[in-house]
Amino acid sequence: MLLDFSRLGPWRLVLVLIALLVGAYLLLPILLIVGLSFGSSRWLQFPPPGWTLRWYRELFDDPAWIASFLTSFRIAAVVTVLSVVIGLMASFGLTRGEFRGRELLRALFLTPMILPVVVLAVALYAFFLRLHLNGTFTGFVLAHLVVALPFSIIAISNALERFDRDIETAAIVCGASPLEAKLRVTLPGIRLGLMSAALFSFLASWDEVVIAIFMASPDLQTLPVRIFSTLRQDLSPVIAAVSTVLIALTAGLMALAALLRKDARS
Amino acid sequence: MTCFLDIRGITKSFGKVAAVSDVSLEIARGEFMTFLGPSGSGKSTTLYMIAGFFDPSAGDIRLEGRSILREPSNRRNIGMVFQRYTLFPHLSVAENVAFPLRVRRRPAAEIARKVEQMLALVRLEGFADRMPAQLSGGQQQRVALARALAYDPPLLLMDEPLSALDKKLREEIQVEIRRIHRETGVTILYVTHDQEEALSLSDRVALFNHGRIEQVGKGRDLYEAPRTRFVAGFVGHSNFLDCTIAAHAGERADIVLPDGSRLPELPIDRQAPVGAAARLMIRPDRLRISSPAGADAPAGIDAVLSDATFIGETFHFALTTAWGGALNVRMPSHTLPPAGHGVGQRVRLSWAPGDARLFAE
Ligand SMILES: Nc1ncnc2c1ncn2[C@@H]1O[C@H](COP(=O)(O)OP(=O)(O)OP(=O)(O)O)[C@@H](O)[C@H]1O
Ligand SMILES: [Mg+2]
Repeated sequence: MLLDFSRLGPWRLVLVLIALLVGAYLLLPILLIVGLSFGSSRWLQFPPPGWTLRWYRELFDDPAWIASFLTSFRIAAVVTVLSVVIGLMASFGLTRGEFRGRELLRALFLTPMILPVVVLAVALYAFFLRLHLNGTFTGFVLAHLVVALPFSIIAISNALERFDRDIETAAIVCGASPLEAKLRVTLPGIRLGLMSAALFSFLASWDEVVIAIFMASPDLQTLPVRIFSTLRQDLSPVIAAVSTVLIALTAGLMALAALLRKDARS
Repeated sequence: MTCFLDIRGITKSFGKVAAVSDVSLEIARGEFMTFLGPSGSGKSTTLYMIAGFFDPSAGDIRLEGRSILREPSNRRNIGMVFQRYTLFPHLSVAENVAFPLRVRRRPAAEIARKVEQMLALVRLEGFADRMPAQLSGGQQQRVALARALAYDPPLLLMDEPLSALDKKLREEIQVEIRRIHRETGVTILYVTHDQEEALSLSDRVALFNHGRIEQVGKGRDLYEAPRTRFVAGFVGHSNFLDCTIAAHAGERADIVLPDGSRLPELPIDRQAPVGAAARLMIRPDRLRISSPAGADAPAGIDAVLSDATFIGETFHFALTTAWGGALNVRMPSHTLPPAGHGVGQRVRLSWAPGDARLFAE
């Protein structure tokens, strides 16, 4: 190859340098936050004068934070389940169905991805106003489902398209009913797609903030909403602690996904 | 007579395309029948109707006297091996073979015994715990065969199962399939577009063309007594020469070749009026080369040798007739005179009665 790394000679150093700079640029804010969350200064002084776990203690002692954490988690969990189930059914229709307007329907399913989130949020808010869904758990789930579903449909449709349909047919000839063949052969065959659908659906809901701000009520706030509203009042190191917990969870999920993928490939 | 598998006038249209039209076929228990034919001739579609993936637009399929059309695929109890690799990728070899027995809720002991027996049948005893991705293409198809036979189906369908394999491996597995057919006695319907494979494997061959069966018979019959021009051209090598009917009597006709020479009493496929165009067919290995026209020369066609190629056990000659018709001749090398035949030489081509056939246009 023309741009073979091992044949670049001295340019290699430049390349490594650029990569390091970009990496630092991306990682530094995260490292800064993590550092501050363990710093003893109330005023987010950097570098921290000392180290402490105080902010984490404050965080976990505050029932409001815990409630938000649980709210976020519950909403994301329900959204994940619904998104994967609905995404699976929609994907079967979109990849296997033979009907007019199939491509149009596929595009329609993906529009929430390209629509500005604020537009979506305002529209959902206005719509849910009539249904009295704003500020309810159901409203949160339905709103986040709109954002999560496209990720599910893309991941599962791709997996279904790659999965040779003759394998499912073979299971049916072997005596399995069409449903049994799907459950015992097709679903295990596309499990990687299902897992990434679940992962991305969870994350789409977990760190979504714009729609959540519109949906939230004083006693139903997701974690990002509480971070946002707390930030507007004061800049406490507890925010850094919350952010660190969020980052750790997200990183953990991504690592899990990478592991599963590697495991499935070997 | 009620035969084992009775296909009666089945037809399948996709929109305006008739993929299969009015195909009828009777297959005996334990028979090895091959569907041969060019691409798009309806072989797979016919097989899929038997498997239950497509419903015929017309006609009936009876297995042991009972129509199976109302049964869905999963209740037909038919075995099938596909062209593409269709092992379940998340299951081991043993679990793949066990799958049809598990969905039939057979007891564990029976499943274990049967899996072992099937893996022995396809000679993959040591492979029970392998995953499909760790097998070669040939091994995967052998596991697929074991899976298809695990539930003792009365009928095994195979849709070009070896077409993805290289020639050597293909021949190796052909031998295995023949042995398995002998050992199990299962009735096999086998689709291929490789005529050598069809002739070497099967008891009988059904030759498909444009959704219809042109001829059914032993491979030898198709080669020796092709009923249509398509069969003559598809099975084995053939020479075709244009000619005109000069007289017609029963199943024989006299013809005139473009140079005016007349050949009497050749078998013809169907009635044709005097003056109609026809094609004279002779196999390259049935033509004999002798010295040019003389008093003692046999009846036949005069031609000029345009090329001679030695290809091991046989010699291959290309010849041209006076009016520009092309002919090929194959002869075993040992039957040739030591001096051979030289390019540019004029020769007389002759044949035994019955080796030349006429097909009316
Ligand atoms: N699902 C389908 N929809 C529309 N047309 C089809 C379908 N399946 C087959 N056909 C058409 O029916 C005809 C016969 O196809 P079939 O697959 O039976 O041929 P084949 O003899 O198996 O050919 P090959 O050797 O290429 O596999 C073809 O013209 C094909 O285009
Ligand atoms: Mg085919």
